[in-house]
Amino acid sequence: MNEILEAPDEEAALEQLHDMGCTDGLPVVIPTRARVDRLVLASGLDADIVLGEMGPGMGIATVEKVAIAAVMAGCKPDYMPVVVAAVEAASDPRFDLGPLQATTHCTAPLIIVNGPARNDCGPVASGFGALGPGHRANASVGRALRLCLINIGGGQPGVSDMALLGHPGKFTYCLAEAEEDSPFPPLHTSLGFEATDSVVTVLGCEAPHSVLYSDNADDPEDAEKLLYVLSVGLANLATNNAIFCSGTALVVLGPKHADVLARANMNREVVQRRLWELTHHPTADHDRYGQQFGSRFSGATYPAFAEPGNILVMVAGGSGLYSMVMPNWGGADHANSPVSVKVRHDLYCEVPGLAAE
Amino acid sequence: MRDGINIARRGVPVVALVTEDFWAQGDFVAQSLGMPDVPRVQLPHPIAGTGEAHMEEVAEQFVHQIVERLAA
Repeated sequence: MNEILEAPDEEAALEQLHDMGCTDGLPVVIPTRARVDRLVLASGLDADIVLGEMGPGMGIATVEKVAIAAVMAGCKPDYMPVVVAAVEAASDPRFDLGPLQATTHCTAPLIIVNGPARNDCGPVASGFGALGPGHRANASVGRALRLCLINIGGGQPGVSDMALLGHPGKFTYCLAEAEEDSPFPPLHTSLGFEATDSVVTVLGCEAPHSVLYSDNADDPEDAEKLLYVLSVGLANLATNNAIFCSGTALVVLGPKHADVLARANMNREVVQRRLWELTHHPTADHDRYGQQFGSRFSGATYPAFAEPGNILVMVAGGSGLYSMVMPNWGGADHANSPVSVKVRHDLYCEVPGLAAE
Repeated sequence: MRDGINIARRGVPVVALVTEDFWAQGDFVAQSLGMPDVPRVQLPHPIAGTGEAHMEEVAEQFVHQIVERLAA
């Protein structure tokens, strides 16, 4: 059972939560007993079930604590299974959450939703502006995870979260894959799940970097040119990936760019391999710009990523000339590995009063 | 759409060509610039980058609609 705070009214309660460092700096919904109980019920799980341990404070993420964060973030009951899965993924030791929160790098957990939960637990937007404002599920699910990182994991700026600047995705960072607009099988099927599964993949990464490419179907080098500019954004010498030579980064192909690659008969694996090849740099560059991190390459070139699978490729966004790339930190014991967890959205629990909304 | 409205304001007959994905935005711009009825024709999305042959097909398919709107 968590300690119950008291305040004369919601306005005072909000100030109290701000003063205690329990918010992300924006107003939150006050997590009253009734509101929290409602989201616990929506999770289909008991309140005291432990979902994981969250570093660096090593707080225990129970369903109730996660529900508190979800209420504060503004989540609807439908979103709870996705929030629960995101917390489980972020708490997985392979994700290195404690070091991820503590690093001076700007990294933030990005939540990628695949499968039926995109609609059943949302809708989680995957099209125009999916990473921007105006999509309630994207905004509040990502924010709920952030509030867990603050209030369960103990991430406080300058004390335990040492990001030198951070980035806006540390407020919220969540989108779905535009599976219906993609010429490739859904991302989660490449990560070992069935297409019918609902899966949350959490990846610690930088803010999205825009990649412009104006395609031309008459150009036989169309796909190669697109892959080249993607590779420049993905692992240029300013990124950790190019210097640490570890970690996993993400390419979010706009549907139009995805079609360019499909037109060239490329599947996801071929795209990953070519991007991996194109993110090899001259060893002399690493010696010159990254020597502090150890010169350890003997050949003429070296790979920014250990293997092609360290470049995730998904499809999202409106259809136009832009894609996005998210380099990552790549530090800690597991190189800050992405983690995928199945969403348990079949644990049906009727939430009183929900039908009336 | 904005170009179409600017041309229309000069009294020149105009038809704005708007692709499917940007149709709602076209309506929004026309409304907010005070010319909600500016003539427009919806084209498939995308057009840019789809190659000369495809663009010629689209032109062939829509040229009559465009001329009709201009003549209306």
